[in-house]
Amino acid sequence: MTGIGWPLVDVASRLLAPDEREAVRGDLVEAGESAWKGLCDVLGLVVRRQVGLWKNWRPWIATFGVALPCTLLLMGFSLTVSRIYQLYAWIIGNQQFIDPKLLKEVGLPVAPGVAQLVGYLFLLIGRSWIGGFVVGSMSRRTVWVSAAFSFSACLFCLAEFRAASLSRFCLLLFLAPAMWGVRRGLQISRIKLRSAIVLAAGVTVLTVATSNRRGLSIPSLELSWPAWYLVATAQRPNWLLRRS
Amino acid sequence: MLGEFEYLLITAAARLGDDAYGAAIREEIEATTGRRCSIGALYTTVDRLETKGLFETWMGDATPQRGGRAKRMVRVTRKGMEAAKNFYDAVTRVSRGVSWAANRAGILL
Repeated sequence: MTGIGWPLVDVASRLLAPDEREAVRGDLVEAGESAWKGLCDVLGLVVRRQVGLWKNWRPWIATFGVALPCTLLLMGFSLTVSRIYQLYAWIIGNQQFIDPKLLKEVGLPVAPGVAQLVGYLFLLIGRSWIGGFVVGSMSRRTVWVSAAFSFSACLFCLAEFRAASLSRFCLLLFLAPAMWGVRRGLQISRIKLRSAIVLAAGVTVLTVATSNRRGLSIPSLELSWPAWYLVATAQRPNWLLRRS
Repeated sequence: MLGEFEYLLITAAARLGDDAYGAAIREEIEATTGRRCSIGALYTTVDRLETKGLFETWMGDATPQRGGRAKRMVRVTRKGMEAAKNFYDAVTRVSRGVSWAANRAGILL
């Protein structure tokens, strides 16, 4: 087992389930196949397994119903949070030169503005974590496809970003809580009902509280439904299971 | 009704008996049909047959000739044998009177 072929077979076979990896690698050794033929065999099995996974609805919803749209919307939301932060940081920094009455007249009073910023910040963290958790838990074995689509969307938006006063990395404020959510989703797959209800209620209350007078927008709803999906799929307590 | 490859797999596994596992089934199919059997086709079909209840599989012991790696052992269930028998009967019946089966009628029946 020398050369680059067998290490590649090892890497490719990591995409298989542990038992299957063990059996396949053993079969290749026993059959005495060449590394390249073995690599083709392993990749063929990996492709078949992945195609098999996509016959289910879960990877489709996780990738195209949550990961991709939420990435785009959360980048927009990250930008909104960054702009509000920039605005109030400037106002607070120059407060001694600005008449408070003027700020009130133009609809930029400091205290409510900062409160809105804090609300947006919590909402951004909550939505990002929940979106990541749903992607990670809904379809674990295809999570890398969801990640690839989200990563591509991020790269595209970073490349197209044209705001001189803000760093393009403002778009990625959602990334850390989202990755944390994905990690937890892969680890535990379902959270307790009580935690799910608290999260969903928190996100919904913050969404309503920070929404403008025109009411809830479609982006807000798209970013809120994963929270209620968490409630629907949460781990039910024993007393509730016994009753049903 | 079984597919052609499913029938080949069940037959090879039944012939191998207690020694039926991935590499042995693959070798058996390649030797008897003269066609290459890919690992991808083999294991996805084994899974499908297991889901249908025609196969039982479990992880066997690791052996030195496999680099210390375990085998995925396979056993044909009663339902699997029944399905293979039905397939064989159907192929035999549908082949009666056709030119390529004429000389083999005695073997088939």
